[in-house]
Amino acid sequence: MTFLRRQLPLLITFVTGILFAVQYYVPHPLSEQMLTSVSKWLQIIGGFALVLGVTSLFHIHAVKIRRRESGWGYSVVLYAAIVATMAAGFGYSPAAGQWINGKETIKGAMTAFGWVYAYMMVPLQGTMFAILAFFIASAAYRSFRARSREAAVLLIAAVIVMLGRVPLGEHLIPISGDITQWILNVLNASVRRAILIGISLGAVALSLKIIFGVERAYLGGGKE
Amino acid sequence: MTVAERMLSIDRRIIFLMIGLCTLIPLLYPVGLAIKVSPEVRAVYDYMESLPEGSVFLLSLDFDPASKPELYPQAVALLRHAFKKNLRVIAMTLWLPGTGMADEVVSRVARESEKTAGRDYAFLGWSPGGSSVIINMGQDLYKAFPTDYNNQPTKDLEVLRGVQSLRDVNYVVSLAAGTTGIETWYVFGKDKYKFELGGGCTGVIAPGLYPLLRSGQINGLIGGLRGAAEYEVLIGRKDIAVAGMDAQSATHFAIILLAILCNVFYFSIRTSRKAVGQN
Repeated sequence: MTFLRRQLPLLITFVTGILFAVQYYVPHPLSEQMLTSVSKWLQIIGGFALVLGVTSLFHIHAVKIRRRESGWGYSVVLYAAIVATMAAGFGYSPAAGQWINGKETIKGAMTAFGWVYAYMMVPLQGTMFAILAFFIASAAYRSFRARSREAAVLLIAAVIVMLGRVPLGEHLIPISGDITQWILNVLNASVRRAILIGISLGAVALSLKIIFGVERAYLGGGKE
Repeated sequence: MTVAERMLSIDRRIIFLMIGLCTLIPLLYPVGLAIKVSPEVRAVYDYMESLPEGSVFLLSLDFDPASKPELYPQAVALLRHAFKKNLRVIAMTLWLPGTGMADEVVSRVARESEKTAGRDYAFLGWSPGGSSVIINMGQDLYKAFPTDYNNQPTKDLEVLRGVQSLRDVNYVVSLAAGTTGIETWYVFGKDKYKFELGGGCTGVIAPGLYPLLRSGQINGLIGGLRGAAEYEVLIGRKDIAVAGMDAQSATHFAIILLAILCNVFYFSIRTSRKAVGQN
């Protein structure tokens, strides 16, 4: 059992890790064919992840409802919404004369699932995101203070970029657009690049640790 | 409590009302200030312009409805430009919640441009896997998407004639609201399959993509609603993005004003406290 739970996954990780790191540099048809097959597997596994996610969501909220935990009413709403949306998605469209099969439109005509998507999901998600503007303004008023020299630099840069990214700012202070471009292209890009290099080196190090079996947290369990 | 202290603890609903009015009034009474086109947006436009008729343009609409206000106008402008240039358009999405919206925008602009599905454009829809979809498309497009969104076999689509993989695509633009998006298209797509890549994104993530732009990993970047408005100006079809710029101008100025006021009150409190301490 230990072999199946520990050694075999480590062996598979080691072999595939080395194989696909090398594969990138080998343009032979056989190597390319191998990549094609594996990327197709990954797509199929990605599909299973969706099923796993939905199942987990159902389970968590079912437990909440059963135990009458605080906010369990929201779980009932979520359950009802998921079931209704799934029913709409898997249902039959008499107008199109075929199963909806998760399509928002069939031959240009909106399905029941499409109706749920267009008139419920799109406005709800849009509203959630739009609310952000109000909270940003409120937060800017309460916390965007020049408490230190660093905070003052950040505040000035933010004001310049906010001015330079809108036509009114460029109209009133024509140079604000050019300064904004300079801040984004030089200061911002160089700092971001440094962060990216750091992240990438970290990713390479982590990948090597996983391939060589040093990092084993992905195996789960926590015990050797 | 001093005036400054009272002002700093003002009811936030007053700020909400101020932002609401700054958004609403310019939408009702637009001013229409001139929009200056930035080099990164022009780069996308110029590359599209340089493509000969019949070139293959792939638009990946990698966003969900939450980012619709910024990325939908970008999609409309790019599709209008591509159809005007008679490019062969392949549209798809890597974000499942964006599938319906992507289908709607592609069909709508195609209808408006009198283009036919299957002949002038194809909407491939969504496929699970994120980055592996890109690799799969780079290896064999027909294995990644055996059928299009309308269940038509992709091998039979006239618009895909001669297109076997991403290597046969002339230009890819990813309109992204995060990951999976532009960076994924670069790492798993352009780097290996050698197509030209451009990007469009929300204003929030745009600064994070400047290193890719400066190093030539992407040839251009359309950032936020402003970027969409610039593209509308370039193609000569001013639409919702240009209309939204006045509202964005007003809200930006409102936030700047709030930040200035906040600091004025903050320093006045600090000065008065110091004066009290000295006495």
